[in-house]
Amino acid sequence: MMKSRPMAATLAFFTAAGLMLGGCSAPSGGDAGGEKKLTFMFRGGEDEKKAYEKAVEQFEAANGVDVDIIVTTADQYTTKLKAAIAGKQVPDVFYIGPGDVQAYVQNGIVKDITEYVEGSDTIDLENIWEYGVDSYRYDGKRVGEGAIYALPKDVGPFSFGYNKTMLEKAGIPLPDKDKPYTFDEFVAAAKKLTADTNGDGTLDQWGTGLNVQWNLQPFVWSNGGDWLNEDRTKVTVDTPEFAESLQWFADLQNVHGVTPSVAEAQTLDTYQRWMKGEIGFFPIAPWDLSTYQKLGFEWDVIPYPAGDTGKTASWIGTLGVAVSESTKHPEEAVKLVEYLTANKEAQQSLVDAGIQIPNLKDMAETWAADTTTKPANKAEFLQIVKDYGRALPGGNTFNGEWYDELFTNIQPVLDGKQTAADYLKEAQPRMQEFLDAANQQAGN
Amino acid sequence: MSTITRPRRSRLHRKEHQAALAFVAIPVIGFLLFTLFPLLFSVYASFTNWNGISAPVFKGLDNYTKMFGDRYFLKSLWNTLYMMIGIPIGLVISLALALAMNRKMRGTTFFRTVYYLPVISSIAAVAILWQWAFNGDFGLINQGLALVGIDGPNWLQDTATVKPALIIMAVWKGLGYSMLLYLAALQSVPRYLYEAAALDGATAWQQFRHITVPMVAPVTFFLIVTSVIGGSQIFVEINIMTPTGGPEFESASIVWYIWQKAFDNLQMGYASAMSVVLGLLVFVITFIQFRLNRRNQFSID
Repeated sequence: MMKSRPMAATLAFFTAAGLMLGGCSAPSGGDAGGEKKLTFMFRGGEDEKKAYEKAVEQFEAANGVDVDIIVTTADQYTTKLKAAIAGKQVPDVFYIGPGDVQAYVQNGIVKDITEYVEGSDTIDLENIWEYGVDSYRYDGKRVGEGAIYALPKDVGPFSFGYNKTMLEKAGIPLPDKDKPYTFDEFVAAAKKLTADTNGDGTLDQWGTGLNVQWNLQPFVWSNGGDWLNEDRTKVTVDTPEFAESLQWFADLQNVHGVTPSVAEAQTLDTYQRWMKGEIGFFPIAPWDLSTYQKLGFEWDVIPYPAGDTGKTASWIGTLGVAVSESTKHPEEAVKLVEYLTANKEAQQSLVDAGIQIPNLKDMAETWAADTTTKPANKAEFLQIVKDYGRALPGGNTFNGEWYDELFTNIQPVLDGKQTAADYLKEAQPRMQEFLDAANQQAGN
Repeated sequence: MSTITRPRRSRLHRKEHQAALAFVAIPVIGFLLFTLFPLLFSVYASFTNWNGISAPVFKGLDNYTKMFGDRYFLKSLWNTLYMMIGIPIGLVISLALALAMNRKMRGTTFFRTVYYLPVISSIAAVAILWQWAFNGDFGLINQGLALVGIDGPNWLQDTATVKPALIIMAVWKGLGYSMLLYLAALQSVPRYLYEAAALDGATAWQQFRHITVPMVAPVTFFLIVTSVIGGSQIFVEINIMTPTGGPEFESASIVWYIWQKAFDNLQMGYASAMSVVLGLLVFVITFIQFRLNRRNQFSID
């Protein structure tokens, strides 16, 4: 008898982890008893597992193929996949990120599935987000163009939101969902929200509180800056536009004081404070939606504040499902990919779980028009995917080392101990060195 | 008679020999397959440009020359060295604990179990636990500090405290093991040495200094050697508690950096070269320790 539920959950977790470890050692694609067999390796949480198990069951029934599912934790996935590749036991179907496409295609790990998916009777390629499909195109030179090597498991538009209840209480006119704030307007609104509401002498409500690694991109882009030049050979973080937006980002804390102080933000991260209703403006991504349904205040989605260009910007994350070059049953494997990425019921169950937006355009339109679930402005997510979203800068190069370098030593800028311009001038050559090495490895 | 028995005994002998060889073969084959081959292969890989999935391309000493200009390599090496401060601290505490446990008092079995618990716990689970304990706002450690009026830092996010935090955890994790070995060593110190010393009027401190410490010296030596080897390979706790290598790369250990290069950034060749260097460093340090130890033993005698 289990004494308590947490206890049982812990036990179950470790048992499952043990099983997974055991299962991972033998991802073979062999056929038992003449029946066709595929392996599918992915990482993810409970909701994804549930949805995919359903999709896989349907696929098995419809195609008479047996599928072995291998699930790993997020942090172990790359290590396990690399080990499988090194051991020449590549799973037939597995996750890849846009950043892996170059390396995997060049080394003949993933299969060109263009022919299969374009002529497929299971899916309508036109009905899947172009951004998602294009992320897995590669023409031998550049990711984003050419043959298709995977279908998107999801597209994750990263958007911005606000605490409606708090803004109303502070008497601030609600932001327009079609016209982004300027940087100045945003600071002004955030200043009004930053307050000591219970009169105990310390602040307990702030305008915003943003993590640099996931929020800097929209501000830089909308201010006319970028990480790389057009052909991805030069790091361009030392431009005035870039420096201006990073400085503005740091000033939110150091000059305008509209975010929790360094000490406060470090103690209880701003994500927790946002959920407690202490933060006015905060990023909102599709995978937050299920958690945010239970928030104790009203909230909605708006475009990111925009810098000098006046045009809002944001990024889209994505993961893809690819087929291995070495699979014995390419046709079935591609079909499985189609089930996983575009099966209506699987998509519906993922959307109902509140962790992603639908992959299928028509389904997404219906979802966005549904007013029974929050947020009201779901259309913003679709606009990001359709119009203005971009890939994370590190995702389209051979590796992301040059991109990570920017954030490794950025803390002094955020603390106001170094100016953004100074720091970026220092960081650019180091990033360039990493980028050159990556491009050289990619053979560009 | 002997002509009849000889072949029989010999056959038995041969059979036993074969069985013995079979038993010996298992670990030897295991060693060749899972240790020596990967070792030699990584030495080969260290001279190549290899991303882990392609065919390695021979590059000579490129990876090795690159290493000395790589500031993150040097920094992670320094971080690893820094975190070894925990080794002497841990030894002193565990010897003190062992002395306490060695007394005849109630509850020692209980305490022995308590101190040994971290050793057998999964390092991954323990690391997650400590990550919470080190949380700046509602972490156990800062709550404890708050009781005595100290406003604790945000341990894992602060460049000044992230390494001490990891050291504290490593000491805690290793305490039980060292304590148990010291305890065994203490119990094998002959009573008569203390009795003789007491008769000669030695104080408790003098007894400790001149009897206990030299008598447990072999254990101390063993612990230092194994902890240095283990400490130079610190990885799991770092990867879990500070997954990006800590603020400004302050907690990245050398093995963490190797792992990141190999699996995140597709530079298996370079990572292999760094592992070879790390292996050589550990070998040299261990060699020096053995030499020093030999000299020490002479001086005791």
